Amino acid sequence: MNHRSNYIGYAIARLAQSIVVIALAYTFTFLIINVLPGDPITNMLLDPENGFSPADIEPIIAYYGLDKPVLEQLWIALSRFVVGDLGISLRSNLPVSGLVLSALPSTLVLALSALAVALVVAFLLAFASQNLPPRYGQGLLRLLPAASLSVPAFIIGIFLIQIFAFQFGLFRITSPNSFAATAFAAIALGIPVSAQIAEVLIANLDHEARQEYFSVARSRGLSRFELFAHHQFRPSSLPVVTMIALAIGELLGGSLITESIFGRTGIGSLVQGAVSSQDYPVIQAVVSLAAAVFVIVNLIADLVYPLLDPRLRTRNRGREPLADEPLVDTEAVAK
Amino acid sequence: MTLLIPTPVTRRRTRFAAWDVPLAVILSFLFVTLVIAWSLFPSLFAGYDPYFGDTSRKLLPPSGEFWFGTDHLGRDVFSRVVHGSWSSVTSAAIAVCIGLVVGGFLGLVSGFVAGWTDVIVARFIDVLLAIPNFLLAVVIVSSFGFQTINVAIATGIASVAIFARVMRAETLKASTSVFVEASGLLGGSRWHILLRHILPNAYRSILALAVLQFGSCILIIAGLAFLGYGDPPPAADWGVLVSNGKDYPSSPWLVFAPSLVIVATVLAINRISRWLRR
Amino acid sequence: MNMPYTIDLPDLLHVEGLSVSYGGETVVQNASFALKKGQALALIGESGSGKSTIAKAVLGLLPETARTAGRISFKDRNLLELSDRVFRPLRGRSIGFVPQDPQNALNPVRTIGAHAHESARLLDLSGRTAERTAIFETLELVGLSEPERIYRSYPHELSGGMLQRVLIGLAVLPRPEVIVADEPTSALDVTIQKRILDLLSRLRSSLDLSLLLITHDLALAAERADSVVVLKGGEVQETGPSSRVFLKPSSDYTRKLQNDVPSLNPFRFRTAERRANAGEGTGDPFIRVQSVSRIFDTGDRQVRAVDDVSFSLQSGRTHALVGESGSGKTTLARLLLGLDTPDSGAITVNGQRVHGRSTSALRDLRRDLQLVYQNPFTSLDPTWKVKSIVREPLDRYAIGSRQERDERVHEAISAVGLSEDLLRRRPAALSGGQRQRVAIARALTLRPKMLVLDEPTSALDVTVQAGIVEALFALQERFGLTYLFVSHDLSLVRQVADTVSVLRHGRLIEQGPVDQIFENPAEPYTRLLLESIPAANAAQSAAAQPGYARLSLVKTA
Repeated sequence: MNHRSNYIGYAIARLAQSIVVIALAYTFTFLIINVLPGDPITNMLLDPENGFSPADIEPIIAYYGLDKPVLEQLWIALSRFVVGDLGISLRSNLPVSGLVLSALPSTLVLALSALAVALVVAFLLAFASQNLPPRYGQGLLRLLPAASLSVPAFIIGIFLIQIFAFQFGLFRITSPNSFAATAFAAIALGIPVSAQIAEVLIANLDHEARQEYFSVARSRGLSRFELFAHHQFRPSSLPVVTMIALAIGELLGGSLITESIFGRTGIGSLVQGAVSSQDYPVIQAVVSLAAAVFVIVNLIADLVYPLLDPRLRTRNRGREPLADEPLVDTEAVAK
Repeated sequence: MTLLIPTPVTRRRTRFAAWDVPLAVILSFLFVTLVIAWSLFPSLFAGYDPYFGDTSRKLLPPSGEFWFGTDHLGRDVFSRVVHGSWSSVTSAAIAVCIGLVVGGFLGLVSGFVAGWTDVIVARFIDVLLAIPNFLLAVVIVSSFGFQTINVAIATGIASVAIFARVMRAETLKASTSVFVEASGLLGGSRWHILLRHILPNAYRSILALAVLQFGSCILIIAGLAFLGYGDPPPAADWGVLVSNGKDYPSSPWLVFAPSLVIVATVLAINRISRWLRR
Repeated sequence: MNMPYTIDLPDLLHVEGLSVSYGGETVVQNASFALKKGQALALIGESGSGKSTIAKAVLGLLPETARTAGRISFKDRNLLELSDRVFRPLRGRSIGFVPQDPQNALNPVRTIGAHAHESARLLDLSGRTAERTAIFETLELVGLSEPERIYRSYPHELSGGMLQRVLIGLAVLPRPEVIVADEPTSALDVTIQKRILDLLSRLRSSLDLSLLLITHDLALAAERADSVVVLKGGEVQETGPSSRVFLKPSSDYTRKLQNDVPSLNPFRFRTAERRANAGEGTGDPFIRVQSVSRIFDTGDRQVRAVDDVSFSLQSGRTHALVGESGSGKTTLARLLLGLDTPDSGAITVNGQRVHGRSTSALRDLRRDLQLVYQNPFTSLDPTWKVKSIVREPLDRYAIGSRQERDERVHEAISAVGLSEDLLRRRPAALSGGQRQRVAIARALTLRPKMLVLDEPTSALDVTVQAGIVEALFALQERFGLTYLFVSHDLSLVRQVADTVSVLRHGRLIEQGPVDQIFENPAEPYTRLLLESIPAANAAQSAAAQPGYARLSLVKTA
């Protein structure tokens, strides 16, 4: 069918676009790190306080091509990045890809549980915003997403630790990978994200309730639940796919500070360590990988969305109806 | 004439009759004004020296004399919050200015000029959006050096993308509107259309976004300061206060007081932005 | 159909002293009427008349903030007192609903079949297969020949007319006693409009339905309803059998309404002399359009939006482009203004070619050639004040001194019949009619020779429309303007135009003096269009009944 080949064309175009964006994100990060401050790696290596001997420095300079022009350095780095080589850490002398891989699982667990928390909270809030009778504090509940958007993850985290670790002893900060500690870290990271999703979801639900088809469905004698489920919730929930994809950035960035507060090791603490020890290849790798993850997740969301929304699934037929009524009734004319 | 679109539910609210401003917005304005006053004239509000304390009265809980209590060096936390507002507020203001000017310009060019310029700028915006905001700010600070001014610049660069995106959308919306085509028919040049039709129509959303970003920049800057990327202690940036306070779990006011001020400020700013957007 | 009101049928729905208010603002005041079994009753009114609010009240769909008083009796119950839970079983089963805009009345992410099962469930059939059979039968009943395909389709895959048939099918499927139809055809093209109304009439007699028809169109109500209720500002102006209200209106408002409906007053504005000279031209035409074509590429295929169209227009005359949606009439107007370029053919204005000019040459040409847009709600910049809006072209073309410009603004504003205290307002503080007058004033300040009017009144109420048309005639008289009038409304075209081109799918079907086209159409499509105008049918059906003469309905000059 025609729309299928159109979809494939669209997918290929989006894929190409994503690859370009990832490469550009790598370049952009490279320029920020290597060009703006003026050859920081060499400076860092030559700083006597860091204790590198000339024998240490030489292979590093050769490896990164630090004696060559910046564009050539970028080309060396980019061609390694394309094949998955993230370089060598200046501090530990280990491949960066290994460092990232060992840090990744912990961060993935945190980010995915935070996403789960965010979705559960957002959907509960959205459901309550439509179905809770006004006298049971629906108005107050509707203020909640906007309010929790004003509270950053690190403040939520510290409060959770103060209350649940120190006051109630529900978890111990000294064992950050325990289930309870992970759960609270996920809450801290997930709440701001849930607020964003809930806000959009509630706005969509309100929007659907104002649509003519909602009232027409009501005039067909549907029960409250059927109305909510089929004519309000279903069309409202589709954009959540896009929201989740956009939230990935928030979750990755937020894991930095959440891991620091809860004392977890992971990508966040890897970056923090790299920043304080000026281990630039690690910073470069993590930032460009985060960008790549964000771009790929958004690519998937964009490719899945047309399959979920029938209006986009057959969007080429939208302009030309399957079979329009003929404008002239042949019988009418014949008369 | 549609029968079924229900009339919007009119909510009862206390309003300042003359301006039709909700009470919550008035209170938000008052609070933000207060915070700005703190940052401009801290000595008018703070009764104690923010940097030197009296160790004989360290870690005192909040009282009539020390509203937010005292810290481990006996410094008045309220005075430190008031003095810290300068760096938090100005950093956020600098960040918003960078985002607004750079992002607004990019969005305007991309939306109005169209063609290849639009394609290139749009990809650049995609790149900025792809790198998580907070991480981007961290990278920029780490390569510029750990200072509050660099934190502000980094946060500003990280917010360029959102300004550019909204400005582009607003520009596109306005430039495809019927009244812009009408102005062309009535002899209006492109500059006239840009300055007199497109910008005035985009202005309101951009203003609301700038206010909203002011709030989220305060949060990002506090987060970066919390991680120690800003000016080192004894600087009293709000994020630093929270960070220092968390080492004294038995004196929770050291965390709660500055946190409360951060949250209240951002809440007030968000409320104002929401009101502007309506 | 004969003398329906005299037969003593039982009241099915009885509205007594109904008042509805929102937060202190009364929308409906003390309305009373009765719908008899098997009859059709029309609620007529313009925007803000409260007709839709009454319909909502009958359907139990008023928002919770609405306060009501009075009674709506249906089967010995007062609908106003029923809770949502008690009301729900009545919805669909007893009272069906056909909405105004079929494009928005079905959930875009569900199939037609999913919607239909919601209705079919009210029949309490034994299973899904039985429901499906009932659905297919009903879809065929409403004239959809391929029920299986329709059943599987999503709303966006069907045309407006098909969707409205689907919605009528969904409403009649559970066999209700009353159907409330809210402007069921106002979003549709005129030929499809007629077929949908025919369908409703047919179903009404075959299924023994009562119909509560909400409409702004007096002629349509007279044609399709047994009795009418005329509303204005929430109050009932007049109630009675439709033939009586139509022929001998007793209230001033109905008389005004009747006077302002174009289809009933084709000769209201054009003098007999002007009509006699309609087809004649003197000298070179002001506008000459020569075999113009415009093709749009939509990716998969090419659409010939305008296909080899020619016409010419004498100075000081009005020419109309008339057609249904997709006829190419608006594209043609945009080509004329140089907003778009034809793929072939030529357009000259005052002897000068419109296309292939430099930007500044086109700018000079446009001083004589101005456009009034269809929708005055989007054509005025909401951030500007009326005074700057009207002054904008003068400033842009740098005409005269500041003082002279101000004088011209005042002149233009009073020429379109607006008072000067509106000058300091912004568009949001004006009514639709006022906004359109501002748009006309803006187009006039440059003292152009010609105005292109793109459906200038289609967003406005009929009484407001009459005022605008009257103003346009006065301006034409005063400044010797030439008009190109683009419209889908044939009766309006007959009122305003000297000559007319009938367009369809981008092609010219027929053109000539307006009276000739309307009285002796040569082409079947033109005849079909004319037959679809409600008033013409009302006149004919009235003429078929004893005592009503066609000429008494449609006023001659």
